Amino acid sequence: MPTETKKYRRMPGTGMGYALRSTLWLGEDHLLSIRSSGYSEDYKRFYFGDIQAIVIRQTQTGRIINGVLSAFAVVSLMAALTTSAGVNIFWYIVTGVFVSFLLLNTLLGPTCVTHLRTAVQSEDLQSLRRLHRARKVLARMRPLIARAQGQLSPAEIPARMTELAKPPVQSTPAATTATAPDAHAAAPTTATQPSAPQSQ
Amino acid sequence: MNTPLVSCSNCMTPLMGDVFNRSDLTPCPACGRLLQVEIFPALFRRIEAGREGEAVIEETESSCFYHPQKKAVLPCDACGRFLCALCDCEVSGRHLCPACIEIGVTKGKMQNLENHRTLYDSLALTLAIVPTLLVFGACFTIFTSPLAIYLAIRHWNTPTSIVRRTKARHVLAIVFGVTTLAGWIAYVVFMRYTVTHSTPVRR
Repeated sequence: MPTETKKYRRMPGTGMGYALRSTLWLGEDHLLSIRSSGYSEDYKRFYFGDIQAIVIRQTQTGRIINGVLSAFAVVSLMAALTTSAGVNIFWYIVTGVFVSFLLLNTLLGPTCVTHLRTAVQSEDLQSLRRLHRARKVLARMRPLIARAQGQLSPAEIPARMTELAKPPVQSTPAATTATAPDAHAAAPTTATQPSAPQSQ
Repeated sequence: MNTPLVSCSNCMTPLMGDVFNRSDLTPCPACGRLLQVEIFPALFRRIEAGREGEAVIEETESSCFYHPQKKAVLPCDACGRFLCALCDCEVSGRHLCPACIEIGVTKGKMQNLENHRTLYDSLALTLAIVPTLLVFGACFTIFTSPLAIYLAIRHWNTPTSIVRRTKARHVLAIVFGVTTLAGWIAYVVFMRYTVTHSTPVRR
């Protein structure tokens, strides 16, 4: 079997959580989500043809972080103003650090959570925690998904959503009967060609 | 998925109305959180039931390698075995049998099905560098450096990250490992020389 080689392009955003680093990469026909511990990587692929929805929700996390950083900056500034010369240099440096983080967090913009939904899962994309990055990634993915699935006109969405909300029609038991699972279990698992039991 | 509808990721209320595919953020009708919801035609696609193989009616018909009672519909693109509709697995436009897929995954030859990789290059580089940076770690480098060199050479051809292609970490691990080992050898030689050539104290 030939090795399949695919080129990936990095998407904006890096997520950190529980010592795992999350990144998104754009493949030829899918979006690749990588969770890396530094010594191993776990991959999840979301094929453009299978993506049903992307939900971006703005969160208050950025504002809370700004509030906490502002409080620390004010406290350290007060300490700098009230302490004697020499000691206050330390507090000015601490204030500078807090103000730098505050500016950085403000410049990065509002925070959000992004979920990507397929028929079988809803994945939290941890690398997309900033609203402008999430929207940038969505804007890059939209034409690729449209190429794989086709366009959905805004006019037909309400009618199709109403249809989707209706309970599904029960199918007959004969139509849903699956093949016996032990038929596959009996299949050999090696590629060596044993004596063919059929006329090939 | 329990529901075919798209729901708010905060309150889990199924979304309806005009919140879909808008260019701006829209409040959730239930919890009021600002959302941008983009839906695609796959949401409305019906999931087809799995196919079953047709039974062989005449003896002259080709049958499936794995299910001799089922009619063959096509050969496996990798091994050429005849497959019924049930055994036909389409992967990246190729029709493969379950055994070839299993072999491809085990041997790492099907990149599209790989879901985990160990980064031996990063491991080797960490073993080569990190102990030298620690306060008491330097004395462990006599063990970690050969291990780093071994890992870098042993896994030279092992695929590294799926998105990273260079051998830089391997090379750095070998360079650092060899340098550290050379330092150890020089230290041992120097100590030996000092002991053997030291002048005895006369009383």
